[in-house]
Amino acid sequence: MDTLVRQLSRPAVPVHGEDDEAYGNAAEWGSMGGYGNLSRTGAISGMTVPRVLDPISFLATHTDNLSTNPEAKIKLAHGTTCLAFKFRGGIIVAVDSRASAGSYIASGTVKKVIEINPYLLGTMAGGAADCQYWETYLGIRCRLYELRNKERISVAAASKILTNLVYQYKGMGLSMGTMIAGWDKTGPALFYVDSDGQRIKGNLFSVGSGSTFAYGVLDQGYSYDLSDEEAQDLGRRSIIAAGHRDGYSGNTCNLYHVRENGWEFIGNYDVSQEWYKYNEKEKKALEHAGKAGVQGGSPMAVEA
Amino acid sequence: MGSPMEYNGGSVVAMVGKDCVAIATDLRLGQQSIGVAYNFDKVVAVNDKLYYGLPGLATDVYSLREHLRFRVNMYRMKEEREITPKTFTHLVSSSLYEKRFGPWFIEPVVAGLPQPTELDPHPKPFISTMDTIGCITTPKDFAVAGTAADKLYGAAEGLWEPDLEPDDLFETISQTLLNAVDRDCLSGWGAIVHVITQDKVVTRRLRSRMD
Amino acid sequence: MSDAPGGGGGAYSFSLTTFSPSGKLVQIEHALAAVAGGDTSLGIKATNGVVLATDKKAPSLLLDTSALEKVAPICPNIGFVYSGMGPDFRVLVAKARKIAQAYWKVYGEYPPTKVLVQEVAGVMQKATQSGGVRPYGISLLIAGWDAHRGQSLYQVDPSGSYWAWKASAIGKNTVNGKTFLEKRYNDDLSLEDAIHTALLTLKEGFEGQMTENTIEIGIVTCPTADQLVEKPGERLPPTFRKLTEAEVRDYLAL
Repeated sequence: MDTLVRQLSRPAVPVHGEDDEAYGNAAEWGSMGGYGNLSRTGAISGMTVPRVLDPISFLATHTDNLSTNPEAKIKLAHGTTCLAFKFRGGIIVAVDSRASAGSYIASGTVKKVIEINPYLLGTMAGGAADCQYWETYLGIRCRLYELRNKERISVAAASKILTNLVYQYKGMGLSMGTMIAGWDKTGPALFYVDSDGQRIKGNLFSVGSGSTFAYGVLDQGYSYDLSDEEAQDLGRRSIIAAGHRDGYSGNTCNLYHVRENGWEFIGNYDVSQEWYKYNEKEKKALEHAGKAGVQGGSPMAVEA
Repeated sequence: MGSPMEYNGGSVVAMVGKDCVAIATDLRLGQQSIGVAYNFDKVVAVNDKLYYGLPGLATDVYSLREHLRFRVNMYRMKEEREITPKTFTHLVSSSLYEKRFGPWFIEPVVAGLPQPTELDPHPKPFISTMDTIGCITTPKDFAVAGTAADKLYGAAEGLWEPDLEPDDLFETISQTLLNAVDRDCLSGWGAIVHVITQDKVVTRRLRSRMD
Repeated sequence: MSDAPGGGGGAYSFSLTTFSPSGKLVQIEHALAAVAGGDTSLGIKATNGVVLATDKKAPSLLLDTSALEKVAPICPNIGFVYSGMGPDFRVLVAKARKIAQAYWKVYGEYPPTKVLVQEVAGVMQKATQSGGVRPYGISLLIAGWDAHRGQSLYQVDPSGSYWAWKASAIGKNTVNGKTFLEKRYNDDLSLEDAIHTALLTLKEGFEGQMTENTIEIGIVTCPTADQLVEKPGERLPPTFRKLTEAEVRDYLAL
């Protein structure tokens, strides 16, 4: 498998710095926002990789992809909770906003939903820079597609651009776990794409260190027939639960709703404030159930 | 399995005021990234003039707390007096050094007011802290320990000033702790503050961020 | 029974861990006899200190008495003096010093007098209940100062019993010495007065000439608040010390 991967990824190496337009044009027209190496077709060419015989194993010794190699020089921020699910009213996308470096909270106001275009959203987990750069690049590719074909790209095609792209760099330390959500001719569509090259179509995903906690709430409350309000609340509640339990997630929740005419930003919610609110609600509900008598209580309640 | 000092998370801070001391802790108990409980009090009273906090590995928090309870009770009976903050610090330190080659994963923080005596009618408020094997430091301003120690240093360095009255000391130590743990993934989830004066101890629970 | 070996104590004098039918451990009685035959030592507690004094008579003119030490500092705040067997004293002093240092190692301060007394009494008691050992043939007078109880004076016997005294005498002439102390003692005694009283008491029944070579004195002085302030790089001044030969000579001349 590794040999195959190496063979497939080899072409990326020799093209370094020899590309026709890469440098010259960028210098002529000024900054191209880091995308100066776009080829005539819009493909990334000559992304610099270490000039050694085997860049994959070279990078493996210097990149700390899973936060397990303290010797590595390139460390990646981990710790995130992202979720997205399809339902009758479209797609809900909800994420937290914490960025951690080790146990240090580097930021509590990170935008982990990347607005690729008015119909496409991408979520960010793993390496922040990797996600930001490649999802922005995906935006470029989607716009080029639109100009060439006079119609919007499908979510399936868009996510495939991304997965093919990251597959080229497989083993070189890219770290992304992303969900691409959008609305196309086929209706709402949701894909999970990660830096291993995996691409899965699905109805419900959660990604990141807090994903298990989010899944817990999500699975428990999910139904395809949820109303818009119920679905938004479920997404928010799931992120709050994950932000509460997972030390590496939290601060705020950003909530998006994808519908036929594009995505809408629903709001930004403080995880801690929301947690206290839900807690208070739950307490009241329990008290109410207690007053209502044994029947109203938990089905698992035991007599004192 | 990472460092045992970061396995459960949690932090403690102590501060000196004018004829008073304060000690505060967060309430989180975790297993690495997972928060497990928000009622894990890491600060214990020896008597109403002497408190100490044990941030570090939770299993050692319990064991060392019991060990010290035993040693202090024996001291009380043998010496027929209460242990002073300074003597208690030495007791903790030697208990820690006893395990030099397989240490308790704890960095204790001690805060207390020595009892006034005839020879020393105005004893100075006392705080101290130790590393995991018992090296003592006795700062004049504040002592910090735990997973948010580096953040606590920053907050305390900015907020602390000399000769704070009990109420102002409470405000200072509370803000220091809350702001520090809000930058730490492994601390937080509630907090408790004790302010010790010669005539009373004021204990308050703080409402803090729960993420 | 009277023919039994062991000096006429009968069958119960063999094993010191065996009670006689009258409820006595005969070996302890013998140890007390060894103490009663020893040179006189005494101690007096004053309002601002304690004095320990002892008769240090040399069995021969040829002996260099300056090398003889009967009053022993244990730690900066505590000192011992004894009556009875010298070698046993040195063993106990060594143990007591070790106990004091062990205490310092744990608590960062030297033990209060009472705590050290209890520890030493424990050591002496153990010698009355263990197999293959004999009781210590000495009684101790222990003087010390601590922040908790101030100055204090204790006596420890071979049995391990201990008492706190205002003034006490052990060894030869104990009865006379105590009677003398009872007459002279009062609760307002200063350390200077106590030192003189100690010399006068020692003089009662002293055989030969009392000089700086034939007696030894140790004193406890209560520290002032100022003396208790720790200065960086300095140790607190000791509260127990022995008087130098010159100092003893000066007191004797008065």
